[in-house]
Amino acid sequence: MVCATPQQQATFVATYAAHLMGCGIHTSRVVRNTKRVSESLNFAINISVFQKSMILTLLHKETHHTFSEVVEIPALPISFEHNSELSALSWEAIDQKLPFELLETKYNAIISKSRIDPLFVLLLVGFANASFCKLFGGDWISMAIVFSATVVGFFVRTQMLHKHINHYIVFIASSFIASLLASTALIFNITSDIAIATSVLYLIPGVPLINGVIDIVEGHTLTGISRLTSAFLLIICIAIGLSITLFLVRDSLI
Amino acid sequence: MEVFWRTIANYNNATWIYQVILVIIGVILTARLITKPGQRTKLAMKIYLIVLNSWIAIVYYLIYCEERKYNNILALFWGIIACLWIWDTIKGHTTFTRSHKHDILAYFLIVMPFIYPAISLARGLSFPSITSPVMPCSVAVFTIGLLLMFSENINMYIVLFLGHWSIIAISKTYFFNIPEDFLLASASVPALYLFFKEYFMRDLHKDTKPNSKYITMLLIILCIIIGSLLTATLFIGLIQGK
Repeated sequence: MVCATPQQQATFVATYAAHLMGCGIHTSRVVRNTKRVSESLNFAINISVFQKSMILTLLHKETHHTFSEVVEIPALPISFEHNSELSALSWEAIDQKLPFELLETKYNAIISKSRIDPLFVLLLVGFANASFCKLFGGDWISMAIVFSATVVGFFVRTQMLHKHINHYIVFIASSFIASLLASTALIFNITSDIAIATSVLYLIPGVPLINGVIDIVEGHTLTGISRLTSAFLLIICIAIGLSITLFLVRDSLI
Repeated sequence: MEVFWRTIANYNNATWIYQVILVIIGVILTARLITKPGQRTKLAMKIYLIVLNSWIAIVYYLIYCEERKYNNILALFWGIIACLWIWDTIKGHTTFTRSHKHDILAYFLIVMPFIYPAISLARGLSFPSITSPVMPCSVAVFTIGLLLMFSENINMYIVLFLGHWSIIAISKTYFFNIPEDFLLASASVPALYLFFKEYFMRDLHKDTKPNSKYITMLLIILCIIIGSLLTATLFIGLIQGK
């Protein structure tokens, strides 16, 4: 078996860090996890994180060779599973002094795990939004309408993202479709306002918002602000979609 | 509720001859699609569906349902479905390829637009204040039946929009006292289950979780919940009727 070179190990550390950033983990946790992994591979590391890329400088403690890695942060779906399992892997790496080959095998096993069935996600998102409707005081008919509107909106979003359409346009379209379908509640004497308002909640970029705040609080101001900016742009897109519906069906925003 | 039935009466009074023409064209095209499904027939059926959905949006909702509140929302809704059919005609998503998997349910759904007025008459209503085959729910149930009969390649957007209409139909039975809409709601539940199952289960050879049997179970439970809601609504309606 051929042993991995320090260069290959450094590249692995960079890939690991980029994957963590891509799947929606706040910066300080990415830095901590990556430091643990690099420590287990006998590297000292410095990391600079930006919105779209990362720069890692790794110093091999034995050979004193320095490796610089610039990696692009991939646009991955948010994954709490990858978050927790890759964090656990970093602890395992340092606690059990995992050899590089085993570490890489475990990493590949985690990232290639089966994804959640799209139909399952579609239905659960529908239920989640219908529950929001109930939490805000909506009645059962509004909940059913919100469920259906969310399912259609989420389906539109998924299909458009598959076709690599600009995600701002995707958010405007999905928000418009979901709120338009929810606005059919207006023809009944029910809690239609709540139905319309909650129909777009599935689009709210909660993870980037939370991560942005955590990043700023923990001193990663640059990434924090860029994450919040992206999140706010998406929220503006949701508002545009919702506003189009309101202007069409009610001639005003309120 | 009075406004609701008055607008239906006005619509039927003024457009019955056009409705008859639309129904005849629909019957001929459906028969040809089943017996001799050529490219021209398939294209003609798509054009027919564009016209039919545009008719519901413009003639039914914008013109004759002007009295109703928020008629523009429903006009927009049916206008979008008409646009989806235009897009489908250009892109060719729906191929109208016969699947022979759900023929019994499909035939039942295709015939259902004629059952609608029969139920209205059985309830003691008389023309023009009755449901007709060229009304939103009849068109929805006909389209669902047609898509189910030719379910090899279907446009899921249209299915989802019609599914949303079925949910509205459940609510309409409460608010506007149209028990006929139970037909659409109750018939669309198994149809939607089949559409979802076939559309999404095509990808199940891929490694996804949870296991496909749990997803199927979830779908079945969802359909049972909707079915139970329908039954409860029906019983409540019957009790209130007594």
